[in-house]
Amino acid sequence: MITSELILREIRHSVCDVVRQIAPEAVVPKVRLSDLGCNSIDRADIVTQVMERLSVIVPISEFHSGLTVGELADIFRKHA
Amino acid sequence: MNAGTAGEAGGSSPLGGTAGGSGGSSPLGGTGDRVVITGLGVVCAVAHDLAGLAQAMRRGDSAITLLAHLDEPGYGAPIRGFALQRALGGISGLAESLRDRAIRAAARAPLPVQAAAVVALQAWHHARLHDRAPPAGRVGVVVGGNNLTEAYAESQRARYERHPAFLPASFALHCQDTDHVGVVSEVLGLTGEGCTVGGASASGNLAIISAARLIRDGGADACLAIGALAELGPLQRRGYLNAGAMAELDGGFPAPPFDRDRRGFVPGQGSACLVLESAGSARRRGVTPLAELAGNHVALSGNRLADPAQASEAEVMSVALRRAGLAPEQVDYVNAHGSGSPLGDAVEAAALDQVFAGVPEPPWANSTKSLVGHCLTAAGAVEATATILQLRCDFVHPNAGLRCPLDTTCRLAGPTARPARLAVAMSNSFGFGGFHSSIVLTKPAF
Repeated sequence: MITSELILREIRHSVCDVVRQIAPEAVVPKVRLSDLGCNSIDRADIVTQVMERLSVIVPISEFHSGLTVGELADIFRKHA
Repeated sequence: MNAGTAGEAGGSSPLGGTAGGSGGSSPLGGTGDRVVITGLGVVCAVAHDLAGLAQAMRRGDSAITLLAHLDEPGYGAPIRGFALQRALGGISGLAESLRDRAIRAAARAPLPVQAAAVVALQAWHHARLHDRAPPAGRVGVVVGGNNLTEAYAESQRARYERHPAFLPASFALHCQDTDHVGVVSEVLGLTGEGCTVGGASASGNLAIISAARLIRDGGADACLAIGALAELGPLQRRGYLNAGAMAELDGGFPAPPFDRDRRGFVPGQGSACLVLESAGSARRRGVTPLAELAGNHVALSGNRLADPAQASEAEVMSVALRRAGLAPEQVDYVNAHGSGSPLGDAVEAAALDQVFAGVPEPPWANSTKSLVGHCLTAAGAVEATATILQLRCDFVHPNAGLRCPLDTTCRLAGPTARPARLAVAMSNSFGFGGFHSSIVLTKPAF
């Protein structure tokens, strides 16, 4: 079952994979991806990686720049 | 990167004060200045750095091996144990900021791009560009190679077929050959000219020549010439086999280039970077050149097939020498294209015989491909690097495994390295589709 914790864990895993040199503890719901050092391609890669790992498809149009980790998790939860 | 401005010309010149012109760069015209090489970087099957390659060349180490794990087992000289962070750690004095930038830019990039980032940083340091660089806008980068991303694209196919949405956004960047240029320019902060150039297996030489032209044209003080690592995709590998170009599995360990029993090339994985620079820029930066690019020539043979053309090979060698102001008898050493092709090696031997006919002391000749395999898009750059190492250290590396050499005027190196007084060297690269190239490298102040 896809829980909130699982989604957050997957996002955290992806962020740390895409942006090396990020401490996992820094990936918390209220922080923006851009503030973690993610550029636009990084953000898109994180999204596709999480989609694949969760097998959840979300239309790209649902994502926009400026999203926080928590807002990203909400989008995945909505489509899970 | 330090974007220091070019310093004053003057002071003692490492070239003995004979460099033509003041070395000043004019944006509108040629400088008339000589082009030198001030830095080298290499990663290949026998070594992950320059010192390692030099040692392997002295020992005659060959990394050609049977690749039993492939879907279709065959021979190759793969890069083994390469890891970006470890390779960066091997660059002595690499600033943490540069290291972090390289990791940020290349940690998730395909192997060829990672290799390019490493050799670019190795050469950058070797050329002392990390602490005394021309302005960023006066440094360019040219990457030699096409069709560099087939293996990467194939690696993403399964995930794409599970669902198209799973294809990473970064695929749009990594599927382009130009990713090499973008990554290197980002790591080093370069804002001069940049591009990829392609000439099949002559791409490495074409990158060197393109970089030299940019400098001679006054468009850059320095330019990195990188030969891109060829990570063959399954179709590419099979294509070479079906065309009869690559040595097949059957028949035991393949005989090396210039051996009568040769039966095709063995693919090698490697990348190399040469820092080309105007003599004036090197002088201003107080850096002693490693070698000079004294001459070069490129010619097509009006032929789209894979077969070689003796006349074109002889032409590019002769014209490169003429442009260098040198005669054939002055050539001490030839780094042959020597791919191991039954026809190719025979034609190159005939072309060498033609160019060096009647010289009192024929040059030494070897093929670095007997050690590191045929690096394809990177071959010219890897072999220019090997040529400069031999020039500077006065030795010729062995033709590893050569037992029955074909007849040629040139003195084919045997199974062990040997000392030789070298001042003038030539390196040939030929490619499918009629590409022929030759460069002449000399000891500085020759």
